[in-house]
Amino acid sequence: MFPKNRTALSSLLVLLFGVILFYIGTDGFQVFTAETARVNQLMDEKPQFPDVTLEDNKGRKYSFSEFEGKYVFITFLYTSCGTVCPELEVNMSEVYNRIPKEYIGKDIQFLSISFDPERDDPETLDTYRKAFGSDGETWRMARITDQQELQSLLDRFGVIVIPDEYGNFAHNSAFYLVNPEGRLIEVMDYTLIEDAADQVTKILQSGGDER
Amino acid sequence: MKQSGYGFLLLLALMLPPVSNLLESIMITHMHMQMPMLVFAGFLMAKFFQKRFPQFFEKWNENGLPGILLFTIIMVYWSLPRTMDEALTMTSVEAFKFFSLPFLAGVPLRDSWRKLSSSWKHALIIFFTVLFLGMGWLYIWSPVQLCNNYLVIEQITLGWGFITTAFAMVVYLVYSYFMDFSKYE
Repeated sequence: MFPKNRTALSSLLVLLFGVILFYIGTDGFQVFTAETARVNQLMDEKPQFPDVTLEDNKGRKYSFSEFEGKYVFITFLYTSCGTVCPELEVNMSEVYNRIPKEYIGKDIQFLSISFDPERDDPETLDTYRKAFGSDGETWRMARITDQQELQSLLDRFGVIVIPDEYGNFAHNSAFYLVNPEGRLIEVMDYTLIEDAADQVTKILQSGGDER
Repeated sequence: MKQSGYGFLLLLALMLPPVSNLLESIMITHMHMQMPMLVFAGFLMAKFFQKRFPQFFEKWNENGLPGILLFTIIMVYWSLPRTMDEALTMTSVEAFKFFSLPFLAGVPLRDSWRKLSSSWKHALIIFFTVLFLGMGWLYIWSPVQLCNNYLVIEQITLGWGFITTAFAMVVYLVYSYFMDFSKYE
């Protein structure tokens, strides 16, 4: 073999390598952040909500199976949060208001889960819920007191919580929808209220066909 | 040959778990200290490969362009928010980082740089200036947290690190445009 234009050939090979590298690294030029990758993976896996004990804003204790047979719309928060959480909860209340009333409480349960059980006791949660128009029944706020149970839930649902030095937490936020069998079926962008409300309503209307 | 040894030692040192954990614990040191040092380790080790395989570099990287292209691809790849995040959570990605930055970026950079004409060199610096400004803009003004493993404040710090580096490159470009470097050589 007597190759010519060797540098052009090696450039071409390098370029090809680059295209393959980026293709693999971004799941086919789709996913540029780990958060998108996380959501995609969750949608594939549809993890089961683990059996944890919740303590809600009225101090009632029950396991997650309390909501069996209902869709559960979930957000994760901590009440001392000054940034994303209030926005997340305001958006959640917007979704709550957009879902047709006949489904609320019967077919769908709203649930805000605190990942800061030390500070978010039932009284704190009860004060906090009022600020967002939650009725404490069809939309409850709860903490998971057992640290291990809490962690297993966060791990399974891909919620990453990093405490910082000022007693705050950095965390990723989304709307989570769990189906009546306790499986996570949707992770939605919490800033797109309309889309989330439409999607949830559609799922409710299809009347559990997707179960 | 001594410097290749130092380069290898530097790579080994960076791979030590306490060192890598420390550098990776802060976003800006991960991207602007650990990664460049890995490239530098490869840069030092390049001498070894050049002596060992002179033919290979002569033939396949004659004008320096393939090498610099490879360098650029690897650098851009590690600028993606996702790759940096996954290096922390996935061992295979972390391993690829410790291999690709020295051997696929550092080595070709050294072999290519002296072969490039000054206009290519300037084009490359301009490219990285634009890229760094873009990355800085992305990390500072992005409304979302791009990396799951770091705080937003670290993301903003990293953004300013990019802008500062870009500024330094602009200073160099302006300076080299108005000054005649050949008089020094």
